Amino acid sequence: MNAKANKNQSSCIEPSYYQAVTQAIRTQAVQVLKDGTVAGVVGYLPGRRKGTARPALITTPEEAEKLIFSPACVNNLSVYLTKSKKGVLKQGRIGIVAKGCDMRALAGLMGESQIKREDLFIIAVDCAGVYGSRAERSESVTEANIARKCHECTVHHPEGADFVAGAATELSGLTPLEAEEMARIEALPQAERWAFWKEHFSRCIRCMACRQVCPFCYCEQCLCDKNRPQAVENSPRPAGNTAWHIVRAMHLAGRCGGCAECERVCPMDIPLNLLNRRMAKELKELYDYEAGLAPAEKGPLNQYKEDDDQSFIK
Amino acid sequence: MPQIITEQNLRNLIDLLVKESKVVVGPKQADSVVLYQPLAAGSELTLDSLPRRSAKELFFPICENILSYQRLDGKMQVTDVDRSRFPETVLIGAPPCDAASPAILDAVFSWDYNDEFYLERRRKSTIVGIACTQGDDACFCTAVGLAPDTDTGSDLFLTPLKDGSYACKAVTEKGKALVDAHARLFGEAASADAAPFAEQGTEKLDLVKIKKWLEGHFEDPLWEKISDICVGCGSCAFICPACHCFDINDEGSTEQGSRRKHWDACGFSKFTNHASGHNPRDVQNKRYRNRIMHKFKYYDDKFGRTLCTGCGRCVRACPVGIDIAEILSTINAKQD
Amino acid sequence: MHAEAKQHDFEPKIVAFVCTWCTYAGADLAGTSRMQYPANVRVLKFPCTGRIDPVFILRAFQKGADGVLVSGCHPGDCHYMAGNFHARRRFAAFRALLDFVGVDLHRLQFSWVSAAEGGKWVEVVTELTERVRAMGPMLEFKSLEHEEQWSAFQAMADVPGVVNTPELKEAYDKI
Ligand code: SF4
Ligand code: SF4
Ligand code: SF4
Ligand code: SF4
Ligand code: SF4
Repeated sequence: MNAKANKNQSSCIEPSYYQAVTQAIRTQAVQVLKDGTVAGVVGYLPGRRKGTARPALITTPEEAEKLIFSPACVNNLSVYLTKSKKGVLKQGRIGIVAKGCDMRALAGLMGESQIKREDLFIIAVDCAGVYGSRAERSESVTEANIARKCHECTVHHPEGADFVAGAATELSGLTPLEAEEMARIEALPQAERWAFWKEHFSRCIRCMACRQVCPFCYCEQCLCDKNRPQAVENSPRPAGNTAWHIVRAMHLAGRCGGCAECERVCPMDIPLNLLNRRMAKELKELYDYEAGLAPAEKGPLNQYKEDDDQSFIK
Repeated sequence: MPQIITEQNLRNLIDLLVKESKVVVGPKQADSVVLYQPLAAGSELTLDSLPRRSAKELFFPICENILSYQRLDGKMQVTDVDRSRFPETVLIGAPPCDAASPAILDAVFSWDYNDEFYLERRRKSTIVGIACTQGDDACFCTAVGLAPDTDTGSDLFLTPLKDGSYACKAVTEKGKALVDAHARLFGEAASADAAPFAEQGTEKLDLVKIKKWLEGHFEDPLWEKISDICVGCGSCAFICPACHCFDINDEGSTEQGSRRKHWDACGFSKFTNHASGHNPRDVQNKRYRNRIMHKFKYYDDKFGRTLCTGCGRCVRACPVGIDIAEILSTINAKQD
Repeated sequence: MHAEAKQHDFEPKIVAFVCTWCTYAGADLAGTSRMQYPANVRVLKFPCTGRIDPVFILRAFQKGADGVLVSGCHPGDCHYMAGNFHARRRFAAFRALLDFVGVDLHRLQFSWVSAAEGGKWVEVVTELTERVRAMGPMLEFKSLEHEEQWSAFQAMADVPGVVNTPELKEAYDKI
């Protein structure tokens, strides 16, 4: 992609960048709706409060004129394409606004035969980053208010979209906060790791927001909702919470694209993406697999090689 | 002359209450979040931000045992919870939007059935409310008939003064008893200039008009428009001071276990799922409609109150930015 | 720590999830050949290691196991061709996850034991049992079972940080 060539690095992303992206998205969305390419577009509209935005499922060019892209456009919209949200979109081809990390979810969902590429019109954003949760919603994006995931983003410049809004720009010299935190936890003695997670998991109220926003949690019957037989306690107590989080991380291993939506929406600030990243790291090391870089028919945990590592097995 | 208490004495009061073996609950920093939690000392009280979860868990815990069972000599033995052991509790530092919630919830927990778990905790608690100076653009307590300085629901009400101390008003006998028992911590006010409140972004709502609109619009395109994006989580209900739905689950084995009562939410698809598999609220916008209907119509029909204190928590927490204040304003502005 | 000295102090509970075709037959062989192995192990039979969901392991720990063994056919011997190959990957990942949340992996053993390897079964089971015996009871998950959100505490004495005498704590741990 030529975008990569003229990559522009800076320490502050000005609102004008987002305005330009907004304009490009509007023009494109209006056009594909007008010419009938798509039946609807999933994008973002501004929220009532300053510096907020929310997902929007739109079907007319008039509404498309109001679409925006701003650092508040944090949602991974691909969740609306999954069967857990079925019925909210019009039948037919759908346009979707996607950041780089959201594209990974789209690729993953294609690999899992949940959506078809030809049913989508992907309006990708050449993404400079979004606000962290509860960060200052001032208009520009800086190291102080950018989301943790964006610190280590490798997918600013999406590939394989039908249209790309914006031209490469990104913050430079960000500290890899998540990687550092993960290394810190890995280096703790085992009992302290347990204590760290126990503290966090105990706070969980089982609101299931982390599950509901996840594009990969589309099971019609979640194991963690079942009570006959019960595999994981439904009650929000430390015991069931711990089991829930372990099961969740396991079910997403090799599938999670790292959009960090789960962590963003957690009202109790539980660092869920650390678990996802830890699993992603393991699967990369063991099986050289990274989720969501391209649609893959089989993930790392539903394929095998005869000579896979088995040093841990007697 | 109104009575005042200095911040230091407020913290000393907590220390004293703890010594008297009362459980004192107040906003406390827990990692990156502030939550209502038991305070071991007055120094732990954090008054500079609204706790992420509401104070309802004091009376209506996230999860509690309501009985336990065990098979002994082939027979099932069921043990009830000894509610007389519930501790005397003092809630300190609840802003009006939290302090007002038990007063709203009492009605539903003592209606056709007396929920003794709730009521016993409620009887044993004293609420020290505090006028709020922390509001942000999500708050709309004034729009639903409260205000940053209403003492509804508080037993004792504190108003922050410009000089850093708090004006005290004993609202109920319980509150008066608390002051009388620790009279030496309270003093006379030198000045009574209240600290300013934050601006709120929502105009006053006409709740009667809103209710009227809801009556005629069970079916309305508005529901799809505003809530097709809802992902059906429980965050808005769980952190809300007024939501009070719960589920009951038996957890354990065939030999022993507990029956647990824990929070539930009408946003969950399983909430209305029948055993047959049929779900009368089959799509998310019907579930969200219930949220609005319950808060602004059904609860009012039944108990004459609105099930929202305007705390703005759901506005801040909704993963997809659904803004109840905005929705209410939209309905408020409707002509038919 | 020598096993025999500890024998009476602590008998660990070991749960073994095994496949019916190889390890179960191997354990059976050990039995019919009258080989001795610790009675601490409770065997649960599955069609294949591929059917052993990581959640079973979690559940075992939650319900009081001090150690867990997962055992099946050697690679290439799976009755269903590839069940154990899939399981191998899944367990590799699951181990990493448990490790990251702070579970001691010495309590979790995987092995391949064929229908002819009664001796290996004895060896694996004995080694795991003795190792776990030396480690003592698995307390992490068990203690979680007794924990509540603070608001659920039913009495003053249960509220952490308020009144917490050692006697009360002991009484509580015994529940
Ligand atoms: S992770 Fe990358 S693509 Fe995703 S929001 Fe952040 S900068 Fe954009
Ligand atoms: S979003 Fe947070 S509080 Fe809610 S279930 Fe997930 S981890 Fe728990
Ligand atoms: S697990 Fe979290 S980070 Fe991964 S895809 Fe789901 S929501 Fe995104
Ligand atoms: S509905 Fe929202 S604003 Fe109203 S009391 Fe509940 S959480 Fe607060
Ligand atoms: S309104 Fe928001 S917080 Fe409430 S259930 Fe829907 S998505 Fe979740």
